Formats: sequence, structure tokens, C-alpha cells
Amino acid sequence: MTVTFDPSTLPELQNQPIQRPWRRKPMRFTLSIIVASIIPIAIVAALFFTTNLPGAILMTVIYFPLQLIASAIAAVVSRGTRGIVDSIIIVNAIGATIFSLVVLFSVIGSLIVRGFSALSAHFIYQNNVYVSPSTPLEYGGIGHALLGTIIIVAISGLIAVPIGVATAIYITEVRGRAVPYVRFFVQAMSGVPSVVAGLFILTIIVATGAIDQGAFAGGVAYAILMLPTVARTAEEVLKLVPEDLRTGALALGSTRSRTVFRVVLPAAKTGIITAIILGIARVIGETAPLLLAAGNADATIVNPFGGPIAAVPTYIFNNVALPYPDAVARAWAAALVLLILVGVLFVAARIVGRGRLSSK
Amino acid sequence: MSTAEFEGVESVDAMEAEVETPVKHEIEMSAEDISVWFGKRKVLEGVNIDFPKRTVTALIGPSGCGKSTFIRTLNRLHELIPGAALAGRVMYEGRDIYDRDIDPVHIRLKIGMVFQKPNPFPSMTIRGNVLSGLKLSGMKRSNHDDIVEETLTAAGLWNEVKDRLGSAAGELSGGQAQRLVIARALAVQPHVLLMDEPCSALDPASTLKIEETIRQLSKDITIIIVTHNMQQAVRVSDYTAFFLAAENQPGYVVEQGPTTEIFGNPQDQRTLDYVNGRFG
Amino acid sequence: MSSTDTETFRDLKAAATSHRGDRVFNRTITAAAFTALVVLAGIAIFLGLQTIPAFQSQGISFITTTEWDINTDPPTAGIWGMLYGSVLLAVIGLVIAVPASLLLSIFMVFIAPRRLASALTNLIDLMAAIPSVILGLWAFYILNPTAEEWQQLLNQYLGWIPIFENTSGNFLGTPFIAGFVLAIMMIPIITSVTREVLARTPPELVNAAESLGCSLWTMLRFVALPYGRGGIVGGIMLGLGRALGETIAVFFVLKLVFETNWYHIIESGGGSVATLIVSRFGEVSGEFELSLLLAAGFFLFVMTLVVNVIANLIVARTGRLQK
Repeated sequence: MTVTFDPSTLPELQNQPIQRPWRRKPMRFTLSIIVASIIPIAIVAALFFTTNLPGAILMTVIYFPLQLIASAIAAVVSRGTRGIVDSIIIVNAIGATIFSLVVLFSVIGSLIVRGFSALSAHFIYQNNVYVSPSTPLEYGGIGHALLGTIIIVAISGLIAVPIGVATAIYITEVRGRAVPYVRFFVQAMSGVPSVVAGLFILTIIVATGAIDQGAFAGGVAYAILMLPTVARTAEEVLKLVPEDLRTGALALGSTRSRTVFRVVLPAAKTGIITAIILGIARVIGETAPLLLAAGNADATIVNPFGGPIAAVPTYIFNNVALPYPDAVARAWAAALVLLILVGVLFVAARIVGRGRLSSK
Repeated sequence: MSTAEFEGVESVDAMEAEVETPVKHEIEMSAEDISVWFGKRKVLEGVNIDFPKRTVTALIGPSGCGKSTFIRTLNRLHELIPGAALAGRVMYEGRDIYDRDIDPVHIRLKIGMVFQKPNPFPSMTIRGNVLSGLKLSGMKRSNHDDIVEETLTAAGLWNEVKDRLGSAAGELSGGQAQRLVIARALAVQPHVLLMDEPCSALDPASTLKIEETIRQLSKDITIIIVTHNMQQAVRVSDYTAFFLAAENQPGYVVEQGPTTEIFGNPQDQRTLDYVNGRFG
Repeated sequence: MSSTDTETFRDLKAAATSHRGDRVFNRTITAAAFTALVVLAGIAIFLGLQTIPAFQSQGISFITTTEWDINTDPPTAGIWGMLYGSVLLAVIGLVIAVPASLLLSIFMVFIAPRRLASALTNLIDLMAAIPSVILGLWAFYILNPTAEEWQQLLNQYLGWIPIFENTSGNFLGTPFIAGFVLAIMMIPIITSVTREVLARTPPELVNAAESLGCSLWTMLRFVALPYGRGGIVGGIMLGLGRALGETIAVFFVLKLVFETNWYHIIESGGGSVATLIVSRFGEVSGEFELSLLLAAGFFLFVMTLVVNVIANLIVARTGRLQK
């Protein structure tokens, strides 16, 4: 005899509360977690106030092992010996996370706290002429450096973006036989240190005299660093364009080049923009190439071929180790501005990226 | 298989009081009013099934009715899915497996699972795969060579692989891989084996081999199998439960009972339609 | 999506199928694609040529000795201490960064709740984007005092271990601090690769392990880490490449000395090829010294290129692409 569903149970079933029974932990477990969290801190606090052991020792040598042991005991109490290794991993993993976050927030926090005092409207647009390290903060600013960064990044973008996108087009559209080699070279190029890129340009400057130290040279050095980022991101983005679009266009008699420029690239528009933003973010804070290829200046320069020029990273670099607190305050403020620029680019890339996912 | 293996058990008498009046088969496991949600969406409603010891129960029904979700509530894999929620009880060895004092790992060793896609660990050898449950759970058993031979024999794979136990598991065919997975599940000595469409990715010859294995295994352990293949349900199972879900409604058990009755003389019209292939 | 489509398609139809246009297109694009190769070759050649004057005047001792006496006659220069120092700093950085990154990734993939994990992913990416000059500034003013205190304690209690010996009493400008700063730069790189690799562990294998009663550790040990091994090693090598080439952050925290510091990591003074180049560049005394710096740059280029190529080969061989 079979049993069928009993409809009289429906009202009761429809009022069943949503539950998660696995979240109710036994008393033993909750108690042991509480104890394991509190006791190490309590012991360390007691030691801190009663002895004069230095804080560094207290944290690493005493707190951390205590916490490990306490957690291991808690794990054994609730799960048997099986839980010991898990508890060690979890405590260490949490520790690593806290460590990284502490460093990150220390960097950001110190920029805000120490840079704020020098930050002002005039700081953004005035330049460094007539400013010496001991000049008080009411005078001078990074206007020239901001302009320099903009010019140099623009030059590097004008070089790296077309070439980078072209490289991506070669890989995804032309699909020549050399594709694996091209990808290999692009990846190898992404590992070139920024100082080497600067040295390369410097060699050209010195050996051939074809260009001078200045914005253009700095832009070319930056382009070496920007190219792999743009190429790789553009490649990923072009790969996402559905094949049907290309096939459809070609079936209508379009040439390969028209397909690329009129169909594929427009379809990947937001992705290409993301690639450009990421490329800019990659280079905007690089100092070493500019020290070598672009030099430094105090005045506001507009001509890319007009000799050495300042940029925000070099401005910071030159002010960091000076024994004058005002100069150092300027360095902090400039660093804050640079971090804000990087942050804006970062957020912009995310926003544009999300737009890409939702629209097409 | 003593019930005192469960943590926190006080007396055998207290538990025996909970056991129902004896029926033809002793009940291994029973689901009582099991309802399942993912987030706020209810996907299963009021499932009540008893699984008698050393029998095979088939769960049939069109796809998307929550059969796979249901069997994951039986070995507490369900709770690992983000957003999962559940109401009701699953009684095993006299206790609700969702009791707060019960260790889910203990449950998963007693109630094993075989998945639809054969999933041996590709980086391990055949022998390593069979014994992997011991390493993963920390269960101690002696005589690893015996375990390997016994479980592979019970799974119907021993003769085919006995000379190459040290070779990589990634080279096995689908049917062989699935039998290896069965052996792996058997190595931790479960009392119940859950099988989620174990043959749907396999060829007919492997399917028959595995059905034969299921019939053999059911002499010692209780098996619960989700299947889309009604002929398989007829060939392999002693009891059947038919699941159904209306559009955007939670799934539920329309009818359940001995397989011969479900297929031969169902009470509900929908059961009759389904087993005669009129939808599904 | 309608009107621009019909316009475009009409356009395409109307255009004569220009084979010549396509050939030009193909050639231009192909030429552009080889820019990477041209640049790499250019760097190798231009910088490589600079090693000629260096070896001509110094012989092999340019890379086997450690000194920088440009103003003597004949001038002597050797960058061994710098080459060794770059590696030493990177190793110190790895010792800190590898466990930290692994643990951080494990936390993000297997322990943290979903929303915390995605917030952390964004924070780690942000950390990767911090320019090195900002890190250098922070390290110079904020890290140094704390690091000094820590190293003093280390020396006080563990100074009997040779690597923690310090005879000068100066705990600033040590390889340890520089290595620590490199670790901060490596952690986001290694973490983002490792996190992605661990997150791609096939769910059916994780399910199998869960159904067999695994714990976090056994799942990691037998399923996730074996699966992700190649990608993780690749990520570590990428971090290593970054550390070898890092210039500015190290410049502010390392005291460059022309004496090979083999293992006294909390002793003031160390070497780094990249930092040598940047710090000598401002006061370079003439073309000859410049050519020595360029030659040093060539070795730096080769070192980082080799590490980077190996990293990419390892990752490619395990069949996974990293970003």
C-alpha cells in the first residue's frame, strides 16, 4: 500500500519558520570560544600594566602563542584532537589578515594625518619656483608636478594605448601564427622593472642624443611599463566579444579591418576604457623611470621637449629625506594627492567594469 | 554499530522509547517534515520518508523538484551551501542528526555519498583514493591493504584494477571512476549510502554494473538513490518516493511506498502519469 | 541596439571588399604586436653594450667583487654585493610574504564570510596599487622607529644566533627593514594569484572531500593545495620578480654599503642593484661611472627577466592563466 501526500498538513507546513539548526552550537563550544578569546588578552593586559615589558615583545612572544594555545584547547574541547590543526590555521589566518590590514591602514592613515596640514588650494596649483626646503607652507605647491604628471602620462598613453590595443587585436582578431610568441613577449615585458625602463631611455638619451631628458623621454619610459597592462586587459576584453558579431559582419562582406574598427572595438568600448584606466594607474606613481629619463624642475613646463620636468612622484622623492619639516609636510601632502589620484582611477576602473557587465 | 557512539548519549532505554512499534523492516533513518529554503525561497516542503534498513529506496520525479537537495539534508552537506535553511528532523540512531551536540563529520562518515559526476581525486593513485576518506576524516583503521581489496571488490572494480593500484586515478573511464568513488565511500564504513543520479553520466554497460553493485551492497547497508531513469528504479529499488513541484512552488512527495505498488498500482493520478512516461 | 546596427551593416555592405586595405591592416597590426619583442631586444642590446666598457676595465671582478672606487686610478668597481643584496632582500621578503599571503588567501577563500571576503579582495587590490614612493615615505618615517625597536629586542634576546648579530648598535638601514618593505609589496601580488587559484578548486572535489568528513586542514592538504600548487608557485615567482626590481621603497630604508653583507640582517648596511643605480645616478662623476651603472642595470634586467619567464612557464604549464 502506498502513502500519498496529506493535504491537511499544508497549513502547518506553510507556517514553518525558516531555521538553521547547524548554527546552534553546543554550550561547550560557545563557552570555549569565549574563554579562548578573553583569557589571552586578559593575561597580556595584566602583564602590560604590572611589568614594563616592551609592547613588541608582549604582542608577538606572549599574546600570539597564548592565543594559539587557547584556541587549540578550545578546539580539542569541542571537536577532539581533529580540531587542533584547524584552530592553528584559523588563528594564523586571522593574524595574517589583521597584519595586512594594519599595514594598509597605517599607510593610508599616515598620509591623511601628516599630509593634511600642507594640503590647500594653492598647494594644488602653485609651483616650486622661489620655494626652498625651508620655505613655510603658505608658499609653493605641486601645480608644476601635477602638470608634469599629466603631460607624461598623456604621452605614454598616446604611445602605449594604440600599440597595446593593436597587440590585443593581433591576438584575438588577426590570430596570426605568432600569437603564442607575442603573448610570451608581452608577459616578459610586464616583468621589466621600472628602473630598467628608465635606464633604457637614458641610454638612448645619452648614447644617441636623439631625445633629451624631459617629459617626452619620461613618457616613452612610462609607455614601456604601460604597454603590457593595456595589451593584456584589452586582450581579455576583446575575447569577451561574442564570435557571432564577427562572423555576422564578415558574412555581410566586411573586411577584417572594418569588422575590427566598426564592430568589435565598439562592442568592447567599456573594456578598452578599463584597460586604459588600469594602464594609467599602473604608471602614475612610478618614480624611478622619471628620475632617470625626465629629471626634475621647479618651474611649470608645458613643452614635452623642453628639458627636465617635475612630476608628482619625483616631487615626493626629492622632499622625503630633507631635514626641514615643511619640506617633509609637502612630501606627505603630495603623497596624499597621488594616493587620491590612484584611488580615483581604481574606483573608476571598477565602475566602468561593472557597467560593461550590465550593459552588454 | 552501537548507538552509544554518538556523543552525549545517556541511556539506551531512553532511545528505545523513541523507536516506533516494530514493522516488517527496522527503520534505519527517517526524514520528518523536512522543508528546505535557499534564502527566502522554499524549495522543498514537508518531506516525510522512512528508510528501512538494508533496502534500496529510489527518489524519482522530474528534474528540479528538489530530490538532490533533499538527499543533501540527509548527510548534512546541505548546510555548506550559502543561504541554506531547513526545518524538520532527520532521525538516525534514535537522534535528530541536526541536534546541536552532534558532530557533522561523524554523520558524514556514517552516511556516505556518491555524486552524479564521478569525482575521484585526480592527483592520487587508485589505492590513495580508496583510502582518502581515512586521511580526510582522521578515521583510524588498520589493514589498509585489506580495506582496499574489500571495498574495491564490493564496488565491483577489484579485478579490473588489482594490478595497477598505484596508477593515477585520472586515467579511469567514467564507469570505473564511479565504482572507485563507491569503494572510497565504503572505506569509511558507512551504514547508509546516498547516491545522486550515479549513472546518469555513464554508458549503459557501466550502468548495469553499478546497478548490480547496488543490489549487492544493499544486503549490508541502506541505499537511497535519486534517479531519472524509471527502469533503473524498478530494477534496483525496494521502495520508491515520487517527488513533484509545480511551477515556482516547493517540491514535495506526492506518493511513496513499495516500488511494485508505485509502479503497478499507484493511488495518485500524477504518479500514474509520471511512471507511464506521460511527462517528465 | 537597432539604428546604429543597420547603419553599420549598410556601411559594411556598401564598402568594396578591399583586399589591399586588409593587407595593410594585417601588416600594421602585426608590426605593432611585435613592439614588445623589439623593446625587449632593444633593452637587452643597449644595456648589454654598456657592459663592454665595464668588463673591459674591470674584468670579471665587476661581478665578483664589491667596491666602488671611481676616483682612484685605475678605478675599481664591483657589484657582487649589490647582486647578492638584491637576492638577500628578496629572500627576506619572501620569508615574510609567502606565509602571510598563503594564510591571507586561505582566510579569504575558505574561512571568511562572503561579504568580508569580497571587501578584503578590494582592499588587497588597493594595496597592490600603492606606488612605491608612497611606501618608501611611510617606511622612512613610520616603519623605521618601530622596526628599530623590534630589531633591538631581537638582538637583545636572540643575538646569539648569527643572523641576528649586530655590532654597530645601528638598527636603521638594515636588510631586514628593506626586506620587510619588499614583503609588503609582494603580499598583494602573491595573495591575488593564490586566492584566484584556490577559489578555482573544482567544487566536485571539495564536495567529495566534504562528504568524506574532511576538516579544513585535510581539505587544504589533500585537495585545495595540491590542485593549486602550480599557480601558487607562479604567484610567488611573480612577487619575487617584483622584489628584485624594486628601487624607490628600498632606497629610503636601506643603507647602501660597498661591503657584502652576507647574513647580518639586522645590521645596518646592505646592497641592492636597483637602489645602487638610483642613488649613484644623481652624483655620477662622468660617462664612465654612468656606463657602470648601466651595466649594473643590464644584470638587473637579466635577473628579473629570467625569474619572470620561469614564473610564466610554471603557471602556463599548470594550465592556468594568471592576471
